[in-house]
Amino acid sequence: MADSAPKPSSSVKLVLLGEAAVGKSSLVLRFVSNDFQENKEPTIGAAFLTQKCNLPTRTIKFEIWDTAGQERFASLAPMYYRNAQAALVVYDLTKPTSLIKAKHWVAELQRQASPGIVIALVGNKLDLTNDGAAGGGAAGAGACDDDDAAAAAGEDAAGDARKITTEEAKEYADEEGLLFFETSAKTGYNVTEVFTAIANAIPETSLKTNRGPGAAHGARHEQPGIDLGRQDDGASRDNCAC
Amino acid sequence: MLSLSSFVQKAQQLLDPTQGLSISSDPDRNPSKASLFQSQFRLPSSQHPLYEITAELTIPPANATQGDRDRDRGFQYAGKLHLSESFLCFSTTPSSFLQSATTATSSIFTGQTHGGGPNGNGFTFPLCAIRRVERLHSANFQFALAITTWNGVSQEAAKDKDKKELREQRITLQLAGSRQACERFCDGLKRGLRANVGNVAKLKRVIAECYSEYLLRPDDQKNAVPPDAGLGMLFKYPGDPKKLRDRAKMRLWAEYLRDNGRNATLLRQPTFHKLIRVGLPNRLRGEIWELTSGSIYLRLENPTLYADTLAEFQGKESLAIDEIEKDLNRSLPEYPGFQSDEGIGRLRRVLTAYSWVNADVGYCQAMNIVVAALLIYMSETQAFFLLSALCDRLVPGYYSTTMYGTLLDQKVFEALVERTMPILWEHLVRSDVQLSVVSLPWFLSLYINSMPLVFAFRVLDVFFVEGPKVLFQVGLAILRINGEELLDAADDGAFISVLKSYFARLDESAHPASENPKLRAVTKFQELMVVAFKEFSGITHGTITELRLKNKDAVLNNIESFAKRTAIRNLGPDSKLLSSDELGALYDRFYGVLYERQQRDQLLKQQEQARRAKASRSRIAEAASEGHGVEKGRVGLGPSTSLMDYDAFREFLAAMCKWAISDSPAAPRRDPVAEQRGYGSTRRAEPLSPWGSGPEPADHEFLQRLFRNWDTDAASTLTLQKVVSGMARIKGKRDIMGSINYFFELYDDDGDGKVDREGILRMSEALLFLSRRGLEGASSSSPALALGPDGVVGPGDVPGQPVSERFLGSVSAFIRRCFEYADPDHPRNQPDGSVQDVGSKLQATRLDEDPAGEELANPDAFAIGDDDDDDDDDDDLLAMDSPPGSPKAAAARPSSHPPPALPANDNNPTARRSVSKAQSEKANIALDPANPLHITLPTFRMVVLADELLEHFFETAFPASFHVIEGLASAASASPAGASSLTTFTSLGLGGAARAISGAAAPSPAAPAAACAACWTTS
Ligand SMILES: Nc1nc2c(ncn2[C@@H]2O[C@H](COP(=O)(O)OP(=O)(O)O)[C@@H](O)[C@H]2O)c(=O)[nH]1
Ligand SMILES: [Mg+2]
Repeated sequence: MADSAPKPSSSVKLVLLGEAAVGKSSLVLRFVSNDFQENKEPTIGAAFLTQKCNLPTRTIKFEIWDTAGQERFASLAPMYYRNAQAALVVYDLTKPTSLIKAKHWVAELQRQASPGIVIALVGNKLDLTNDGAAGGGAAGAGACDDDDAAAAAGEDAAGDARKITTEEAKEYADEEGLLFFETSAKTGYNVTEVFTAIANAIPETSLKTNRGPGAAHGARHEQPGIDLGRQDDGASRDNCAC
Repeated sequence: MLSLSSFVQKAQQLLDPTQGLSISSDPDRNPSKASLFQSQFRLPSSQHPLYEITAELTIPPANATQGDRDRDRGFQYAGKLHLSESFLCFSTTPSSFLQSATTATSSIFTGQTHGGGPNGNGFTFPLCAIRRVERLHSANFQFALAITTWNGVSQEAAKDKDKKELREQRITLQLAGSRQACERFCDGLKRGLRANVGNVAKLKRVIAECYSEYLLRPDDQKNAVPPDAGLGMLFKYPGDPKKLRDRAKMRLWAEYLRDNGRNATLLRQPTFHKLIRVGLPNRLRGEIWELTSGSIYLRLENPTLYADTLAEFQGKESLAIDEIEKDLNRSLPEYPGFQSDEGIGRLRRVLTAYSWVNADVGYCQAMNIVVAALLIYMSETQAFFLLSALCDRLVPGYYSTTMYGTLLDQKVFEALVERTMPILWEHLVRSDVQLSVVSLPWFLSLYINSMPLVFAFRVLDVFFVEGPKVLFQVGLAILRINGEELLDAADDGAFISVLKSYFARLDESAHPASENPKLRAVTKFQELMVVAFKEFSGITHGTITELRLKNKDAVLNNIESFAKRTAIRNLGPDSKLLSSDELGALYDRFYGVLYERQQRDQLLKQQEQARRAKASRSRIAEAASEGHGVEKGRVGLGPSTSLMDYDAFREFLAAMCKWAISDSPAAPRRDPVAEQRGYGSTRRAEPLSPWGSGPEPADHEFLQRLFRNWDTDAASTLTLQKVVSGMARIKGKRDIMGSINYFFELYDDDGDGKVDREGILRMSEALLFLSRRGLEGASSSSPALALGPDGVVGPGDVPGQPVSERFLGSVSAFIRRCFEYADPDHPRNQPDGSVQDVGSKLQATRLDEDPAGEELANPDAFAIGDDDDDDDDDDDLLAMDSPPGSPKAAAARPSSHPPPALPANDNNPTARRSVSKAQSEKANIALDPANPLHITLPTFRMVVLADELLEHFFETAFPASFHVIEGLASAASASPAGASSLTTFTSLGLGGAARAISGAAAPSPAAPAAACAACWTTS
């Protein structure tokens, strides 16, 4: 960060929703720690993480609520999306039911969440598809909008686990006015792009400026004794590809 | 959702219309004395307060360990002695659970004891732990009992008789009451003791797993193997035992238990509660948790349940097991025991076994953490039963599929914060921080996942004795202590980080800068406990109960509207044919009916039980009949039925379709003088209709067909999905062809595109059934005569005649035309001669004075088309001229005209008028089962479209008759309609015809062809 004068910084509350095991926690972990591993975190209700994202003109601090996977926790979701400014609705490219669930969450957010909420639809586990294998190496290269051709080409190949075509999801996302990405938390492909796009899409007016020393902490509320030693330095690191 | 919450009230008013708002069917609002009693002494739900009496407990002076004491006096406590089926309990807290006591007496008391737990001084003895009861002679005619227990029974086998007398636990109870009351109590006790002698072996088995037995073992068993006191024995207990002063605590407990009895025979004296507040020693922790939570009594009831369950479900799979498996590696992973296969294995087994015995809860994330914590201090079996006690009593609804208990307690907590810390609350609201995102994990995992383990266990120690209010007191204290810093926090992140760093420093001094070394020595955790239990001592079980009640409906409504949104979104493509209002209304109606029926069932069962109990004068049965858990079935409360059977379906329709209401409701089934022993007062219960407050639904063949048609997978039950799909076909497209096709499909049983003679009759019968309360929707009032496709003047408008009456004519024409245009199944096979007899029988007649009983019963008698087609205005009404209301009108007699054998396919229009008589007779031939025939969909369509009213019926009236959104409340005949409002042949004075049809409808194996089920006219 070469900037000498601190850029204006604001915090954005972001909530992750989606069927269990689509990779929500993995996406967050990739974004916050640039890591991929089995989730060891005991999540009660939702896990809280923070990460900063530097834009040319400002810094966005994401306050991320990663909701728990179990179906019955769904009725707690309103508690977390209530005043969220952004949402990541995740589905698994290899699991058709997960898109149905994702559509449900989109509908829920559009009806129940704050009016201006920015929603990104994210198809995860791209590495399991043929185009994922191709694009996996080029992690972070280009937004998925450029991918359409590659995706179309890959679909016919054998051994492709993809069950939801890019076109189908993209069309739906366009209809509903959602940001749309296909990602792999495993390879890291397109992950930071999602968050950057969200950061850019948050209207300037809905940003509240951070204040107070307390707000500088990046913190997770789990009991210290259970903390797996992951540093709380997420907030100070800047791995947002901007 | 409004409708759902009002059902509770409705149901309650049925029980007791005078009771206004105090809801007797809601166990939370008006808990039964049995449940209060159970929660007071933490007893299983099999126990009921059978007898109670005021008494004074004398505990003899402690033996040797307590040194020199006044040997004569001992300790004395005044209180109440209670007897249940298998327990003798004493508590110093004033309490009464007698049937005659008011509920207030019972429940105020639960409030006083801050959570109903075994808080006062006294004991909870399983009757099988009582060895001997002696009646003591006393001077003043009072009853005094000396009770000797089986204290230490597990070690006695090895000892000889004389030695054991040394340790014998003997208390005395002075009963205060009338001689009669004392006698009664003693008789009950005698019976109970006798009934429970068989359980002594169970008791031995259960207490053998208690560490206290090992702790207090006699010298000759010094080398005995200790019972399993949790993973801590293998992997060390969390925390530094020195810092925890574990040895000193253990010594104090050993002394207390020696003096006051252990496990099942423990006496609670003030020291007991003090010792718990300072923290339990590691190896006794599990046992005391088991005792104070009452889970040991569950274990005593069924000691092998855990092992049996594991064996029974060995190798079986379930969704819960998959979910458990995912979480095993993230349950207290920092504790060494859970990095080992041993610990993981125990955790897996306990969670799995519980998911089998309580399939409604199954497995919920956070249970893994709670159970993991329990397993550090207790055996698998103990943890299994303690988990039951948690889910069923201590934190009910926390882990249910909707987690309503969790959400409710968050609302309660917020209300308490607002009440006790208004400034902080203001700040939270202003900075848009939702408290529950922070506090929810505290409650859901009982602080185990929030504080360092050693401190979380201290909270649990108190929680198990004093109940859920402890969770609130601790939560409030946390916020109070961190209040100033929290006032600086402006978002979730800051808020969380303040609390996180607080939890990390709980072992530090609360006053590091203090001059006073004593004050400096006070840790933040100690400070927390003091603030929680001193400053917030006003937060009692009563406070929590009251706030839960207040917020319950709102929370359930939230959950339900969330569930509703979710369900409606997932209804599939058919649902797109209905409006969102219609879908919402269908959802409400669907679950409303299921819920109300479930409630009603419970209430009926209770009334029945109460009645029987009264009849048999059995105290036990009477006590047992007090309801628990009447409130079931609300979607928000978790899984209940989501399947609608045929009866529920009838009720569902009767709430929105006039035609689905029975014309002649049966008399109330219940004995009107049935009485219900109320809570404290005997009051008279209104007889409960099996249909609740709604009208009794009709039971017509059409309803059965509709049900079967909607029940696409022949499961005999409908899901919401099926109901929506079914309704979509009726109301969805709103085009006449679809509507006609659908009706035809309803009667095309085998789906071959043909409806046979019987089907035609049933169709017409259904049309009459559906229209008997009039046609709905914008009626086509144009008086123009409709021309049928064959050029015949159709049943047009007749001035002055209501549409509904004209519709009868349309139906009659419908039958005639159907038969006229029907295709014979085997045209070549038309019988000729034999037709005559049958045909003549079929011929319905005009007025016949003959009673002709036999003929009346003849199912073949179907009156149709007997009048003259030439008669323009008076078309096709069936057997018009029967005198009004004549009961004998519907006789059939042999016709004087033998039906001519016309070719069935002759439908030359020009010939029709002149041969109308012949035609009607031909139609009658058509009724002959010996002449199989059918109509096809095109024929059906043609016949319908030939008639303006039928067309109107299918285009508008039928779909409009389903008042999905507004229901029948606004519709005219919401109340069970009197016969006068019906448009039937009978009400129009056409009784003969009606009877002729119903005669034809009378079920008889002899004439299946004409067996229309027409109960609506006959019942
Ligand atoms: N191949 C692949 N696996 C993934 C990816 N993201 C997550 N997973 C795996 O999917 C499973 C569920 O992931 P998790 O993040 O816990 O899902 P959550 O329930 O939505 O939070 C884990 O086994 C992850 O390792 C991905 O991008 N590619
Ligand atoms: Mg997750």
